Amino acid sequence: MSDLLQFVIAGLKSGSIYALVALGFTIVYASTGAINFAQGEFYMLGGMLGVWFTSLGLPMPVAALLAVAGAAVIGAAFEMLAVKPISDGDPLRIIMVTIGGSVVLRQLALHLFGPDELPLDPFTAGPSFKAFGAAVERQTLWVWGATVVAVSVLALVYRRTTFGKAMRATSIRRDAARLVGIDASGMVTASFALAAAFGALAGLVVAPLTQTAFDVGAGIGVKGFAAAILGGLGNPVAAVGGGLILGLLESLTAGYLDPLYKDAVALVVLLAVLFVRPQGLLGGARRDKV
Amino acid sequence: MTVARRVVALIVAFALVLGLVGCASQEQTSEQTTAEPIKIGAILSLTGTYAALGASEKNALDLEVKRINDSGGIDGRPIEVIIEDDATDEAKAVAAASKLIEQDRVAAILGATGTGQSMAIRGDVQRAGIPQISMAGGTVVTSEFAPLVFQTPWSNTIVVPFVLEAVKSAGISKIAVLSDTGGYGKDGLAVIEAEAPKAGLEIVGNETFNAGDTDLSAQLTRIKGTDAGAVLLWTAGKEAATAVKSARDLGIEVPFFGGSGQAKLEFAEGAGEASNGFTFGTGRSLIPANWGEDTENYSVVSDFAERYRSAYGEDPDIFAGHAFDALAIVTDALKRAGTDADAAALRDAIEQTRGLVGFGGNFTFSATDHNGLTAEDLALYRFEDGTWVSAQ
Repeated sequence: MSDLLQFVIAGLKSGSIYALVALGFTIVYASTGAINFAQGEFYMLGGMLGVWFTSLGLPMPVAALLAVAGAAVIGAAFEMLAVKPISDGDPLRIIMVTIGGSVVLRQLALHLFGPDELPLDPFTAGPSFKAFGAAVERQTLWVWGATVVAVSVLALVYRRTTFGKAMRATSIRRDAARLVGIDASGMVTASFALAAAFGALAGLVVAPLTQTAFDVGAGIGVKGFAAAILGGLGNPVAAVGGGLILGLLESLTAGYLDPLYKDAVALVVLLAVLFVRPQGLLGGARRDKV
Repeated sequence: MTVARRVVALIVAFALVLGLVGCASQEQTSEQTTAEPIKIGAILSLTGTYAALGASEKNALDLEVKRINDSGGIDGRPIEVIIEDDATDEAKAVAAASKLIEQDRVAAILGATGTGQSMAIRGDVQRAGIPQISMAGGTVVTSEFAPLVFQTPWSNTIVVPFVLEAVKSAGISKIAVLSDTGGYGKDGLAVIEAEAPKAGLEIVGNETFNAGDTDLSAQLTRIKGTDAGAVLLWTAGKEAATAVKSARDLGIEVPFFGGSGQAKLEFAEGAGEASNGFTFGTGRSLIPANWGEDTENYSVVSDFAERYRSAYGEDPDIFAGHAFDALAIVTDALKRAGTDADAAALRDAIEQTRGLVGFGGNFTFSATDHNGLTAEDLALYRFEDGTWVSAQ
């Protein structure tokens, strides 16, 4: 029984990471109808920037804040340089550009930070907590805390602030939003910045556990994408749910079947969802382009 | 023109031509001082999970090439080592081998860094007929014997029994094995499974992980559920640091043992405090004083270590040593066979290496032994405070 608990804890930990990355996919999809394949690289940037800022001697909270803010700025710049120039906003072209952008970001990271794994100190030092025969690392609590805070903040922004309502309006009907005076293209930039911030937050809080390197983005990108599809693209709640479910599925498969199949779980889930229920678990009607 | 004038003109023209030809050939002989470089290829893992190994190897090669060329090269010819990155990927290693063989026409290939990659390029090497000096520790590199392939690290066949001995001497009888599915880990696991019973050890847990896995908690949880007295980690990749760190976080308290794969500072940097007490077996040259200060081994190794330190600001690890040895073997063979030797003659010269003192120990190859080292060249170490100390 303590083994099961340990697997559940591990599953919820990686599930939270997938949830944050999946949120990034969903936010960009909602505002542009396109998949941002550079999302995995924002996850990588979060860890890398965190390592860099701490190496400059900054205290951890400052470095963490700067890392997430820095990634948001890079996300916004990415949108303005690479996505906005695509004048017709065709999702397929945006997807192509984000794929290219992800390669550029990865190579830049390789040149700036080198090919090695880089460690990051845990946010709070100390031994892991033991309960009911399972162990929870302190950093895992930070992962859960960060996810809860990020999701709550997003929910608050979406429901209570004008900015959030404007974002939702843009994702529902872009031209109607423009008619009521919302800066639609500004909303797209904001959505990229937000997606980058969430991805970076995920990369930052998990880096003390897994170390970070220039090439960690691709693998996480695929899993976060699978999580977003599992839940249903376009729905933030679904993204979080999809992430947690995927994390648990992976962990239980690794624990009870064979750890070598762990990475295959996300891909199997992705294929299964696309075959059986393409709109995802919580997805409603499909978006039709008229 | 009269006939006489024509004859004179012809003679003058002839003389001019002769004179020009004479000048030209004189220019050629005066340019003979820049000799054609001897090209050697190197396939290193500069990125990917073996990036730390490849970086050390590149450092060592750059250092040695400069030293050799600054002192006149080999028989007056400079050597040129052309380095290609295989990104710890077998397909990329094969592509690199093709490029080195077909485009650069190298005389020999040093590499690869990893066992899987070294085996993957074997086909190209054999088709080209040039010698390959691998810097990978997998037993298969020389147990699956090929006349052209040699190996500089201490292979798993000698390191595994050495480490198992150390585990037994620590009073442990049951072990859990954690290895990676890449060439070196798989090879090591096979040797461990064969040798453990002979050493009187029982394997009660056997887990594997893929390169690039950042979450080993499933494997470690299963190991925790066994009654193993120690965990034997067999990998050369960066996952080792995550493995020991996660193990301590999960509450696994038994000691960890390992092989040459952890003989690098990056392991301690990544694992932090979790690396303390990690015991591993690798070559004596990791701490040169192990040889005894009046031996030739000591002077070769400490001289290399000093030059490496002043060039790069840190001690060389064993991977730098493997590259140093690989290049030394080739240059030593070139001196004996002559720099114009063809591939077959070079290979024969390499196989005739006897007692060459290198970082790994004393290399003596033969028609049946292309590894050249023995357990005499090994020692036991332990990580303390971020670096290794002797654990004899």
